[in-house]
Amino acid sequence: MRAEALKGHLDGILLAVLEQGPCHGYAIMEALRERSGGQVDLPTGTVYPALHRLERAGLVKANWSTAGGRRRRVYELTRAGWRALDSERGAWREFSAAVTALLQPAPLAVSPS
Amino acid sequence: MIRSEMNEQGAPAADAEAAVECYLAAVTAQLAGSARLQTGIAAELRSGLLDAVDAHQSAGLPRAAAARAAILEFGDPAAVASGFRPEIAARMARRVSVAILVTGPLVGALWLATAAASRLAPDVRLAGLPLVAAAVGMTAWSAAAAIAATGRPTRWLPIRPRLAPTAAAVAGFSAVTADALGLVLLSVQASVSPAHLAVALAAAGAAASLARILLARRAACHCLAIRATLA
Repeated sequence: MRAEALKGHLDGILLAVLEQGPCHGYAIMEALRERSGGQVDLPTGTVYPALHRLERAGLVKANWSTAGGRRRRVYELTRAGWRALDSERGAWREFSAAVTALLQPAPLAVSPS
Repeated sequence: MIRSEMNEQGAPAADAEAAVECYLAAVTAQLAGSARLQTGIAAELRSGLLDAVDAHQSAGLPRAAAARAAILEFGDPAAVASGFRPEIAARMARRVSVAILVTGPLVGALWLATAAASRLAPDVRLAGLPLVAAAVGMTAWSAAAAIAATGRPTRWLPIRPRLAPTAAAVAGFSAVTADALGLVLLSVQASVSPAHLAVALAAAGAAASLARILLARRAACHCLAIRATLA
């Protein structure tokens, strides 16, 4: 699944990964791959600007922390981030239910003869 | 093709770090913004890249090949840089707008005190002040728009990345106009009725406006330059 296919949903997906707890950029990318069964294959470098955008919107906050001798920028959901995740989920459920219904094969019309 | 590269052996581990640094340099070379901002972005990407190198190495690759795999995984430096560009533009626009909104009342207070302590010539009072008020209004409005376009409203509204640097540049040039008008009015007052001018306050106001003209003009030009880097 490429970036274009995820367009418009990346923010919600990143928030959903952070629901599990604070995470740094590379771990977020690994979680995306793992949770999508390898279907999501974005260039890792493009996830960082998306995280910065979420930070600017106040949906996540970031702090530098050091572990294993390496400094990493760790992201976590803010209260507004939790709310945004809830509403993304609701919107996705509605959207996917509607598209699923629309893509169902239509029952064959039986013409009376 | 990547697989065959991965099986190569032999390059020393230092090559891995050099390759990572080379990639980071390729990204930051395509970024505008302050050196501090670029260093922060590079530091974050570096830790991610080194994590990726470690992960590939744990999966069995030699370190140099692991670095190549990590770099491929991070993607084209141009794409990464272009992802960061709107963020850099937003930060710049926000910083400039906040600075303009904070300094405005300080400079304005000096001019108001000058006006209160002087007896203004009718031309200055009737023709000049409405012009200054219009420029100040434009400055405040566009700075506030730039701040709004880079903050919380981005949660709900699809805001085009060029909007914030544009609004910040307008705020900067409007501030230059407001300050320049202040200086023009001062010179009119000084030539028409110099006896009724509070000289010390006027000098302080003029100095503050001159400084603000120089800084706001430079900031506005930076915003326009950053705006030009956005698609």
